[in-house]
Amino acid sequence: MSNAIEVRDVGKMFRLYHERNQSLKSAMMRRRVSVHEDFWALRNVTFDVPAGSTFGLIGSNGSGKSTLLKCLAKILTPNEGEIRHFGKIAALLEVGSGFHPELSGRENIFLNGAILGMSRKEIQQKFDEIVDFSGVEQFIDQPVKNYSSGMYVRLGFSVAINVDPDILVVDEVLAVGDAEFQLKCQRKFQDFRTAGKTVVLVSHSLGTVQSMCDHVAWINKGHLEQAGPAAEVIAAYSKSFAPEV
Amino acid sequence: MTYIRELLGARELLSNLVMRDVRGQYKRTIFGRLWALVNPLVAMLVYTFVFSFVFRIQPAPGNPSGLNAFPLWLLCGLLPWTFFSAAVNSGLGSILANYGLVTKVYFPRLVLPLSAVLTRGYNWAWEMLVLAVALIAFGSFLWPWIPVALALMVLLMLFVVGVSLALCIANVHFRDTQYLISVVMQIWLYLTPVVYPLSLVKDQSDRVGGLFGTNITVLDMYSVNPMMHFIEAFRAVLYDNRFPNSADITACLIWTIAALGVGFWIFRASEKGLAEAL
Repeated sequence: MSNAIEVRDVGKMFRLYHERNQSLKSAMMRRRVSVHEDFWALRNVTFDVPAGSTFGLIGSNGSGKSTLLKCLAKILTPNEGEIRHFGKIAALLEVGSGFHPELSGRENIFLNGAILGMSRKEIQQKFDEIVDFSGVEQFIDQPVKNYSSGMYVRLGFSVAINVDPDILVVDEVLAVGDAEFQLKCQRKFQDFRTAGKTVVLVSHSLGTVQSMCDHVAWINKGHLEQAGPAAEVIAAYSKSFAPEV
Repeated sequence: MTYIRELLGARELLSNLVMRDVRGQYKRTIFGRLWALVNPLVAMLVYTFVFSFVFRIQPAPGNPSGLNAFPLWLLCGLLPWTFFSAAVNSGLGSILANYGLVTKVYFPRLVLPLSAVLTRGYNWAWEMLVLAVALIAFGSFLWPWIPVALALMVLLMLFVVGVSLALCIANVHFRDTQYLISVVMQIWLYLTPVVYPLSLVKDQSDRVGGLFGTNITVLDMYSVNPMMHFIEAFRAVLYDNRFPNSADITACLIWTIAALGVGFWIFRASEKGLAEAL
């Protein structure tokens, strides 16, 4: 099976600043920009995401999952190693990025779609589908600042889910909207999978991961603990923090 | 190069961001876009009162246009200047202003300063259009010079893009940049022949002669300023209706290329670390 993403020896370092001189005055007075120590949020992470799979990233808080996800989404650049993508990638780390509160839902769909990498034509084609999915037809010409927070997120999510990439990277944004909307999302991901697309998602809910993913990688303190078929890795992960159960 | 291809792919994003700012700008105001014209108009009235009525600055009549009106003469330099200063300001803040986007979505970051400058450019184009109508109404034969004026406008925008690219990166690392630049802009305005004609500087420079026993005159130092050349070129085309001095054109071109080169280089070098640096 071919791979959608290949992660090789990836390391991401952050600087922990004990003193950071972000103004010119302090930088000059102290004769240095900062005092810091290096912290590796990720080190030596290597795994493959098979094409057409739904791939889950699990691990405890602060283990480096989100950093890894941001590296996959090209928002952060790894200090070491490389990540190779095969196909168009779209990241859903936040819904409604770049929404302008004073503009209408319609205008924001075009804006948000463009930010996520869709062309005007694509958006026009999918416009009805997006509006339909979000369930805000009635208010589509109202400024989004008048939307309820649920409507806002649903609209953002509907745009993002319709980007139609080969690889979709998702960060715990599944938990938006009411139960009905969540069900719709689940179905959309299902369609996605049947269409042979790859999904990478981070979630704290093992239930979600178990039901959706076929492959899982477990990240612990910046290192890859285990990667492989979902059931095995989830079992090992559950065991690690609840050995007696 | 893949980077160029990526930038071309972001054309629609760029136009969307510009439209977002243009549309959002005067939402919920009664006068809407008219506000964009209020600023230059008020500046024109105040500067005309101070510099023409009180200080009695008399720029030479337009040659060969024959125009002789201080407000028009002033606007021919003031509009490019206010665009420059406003666009540099919003360009340098563009990365910080779009914090939410930079940390959450991947796209070529270059579109942010670019869209900030273009948004200002859009407003400026309207101001220039009104000025052009006024110039023609007052007897300037502007028609054949419109393409030259447009070319100059594009050149100034490119220059601003270059400056903004470098400054927006500086501003991410040192937030002082924005405050420093607003001070610099105040000084810069008076070091540029916007509210007074260049001829006054020439006269003084000739009187003083070489500085500190060298051949360097005040005018030579004064001419280092790229904006001086831009303003002179704009005045030549709009007010005088003649082709700008070749020296001014050359200086504008060199400064634009240099600014774009340096700005692009700095931007490329820091672009990848932006999401963390914020």
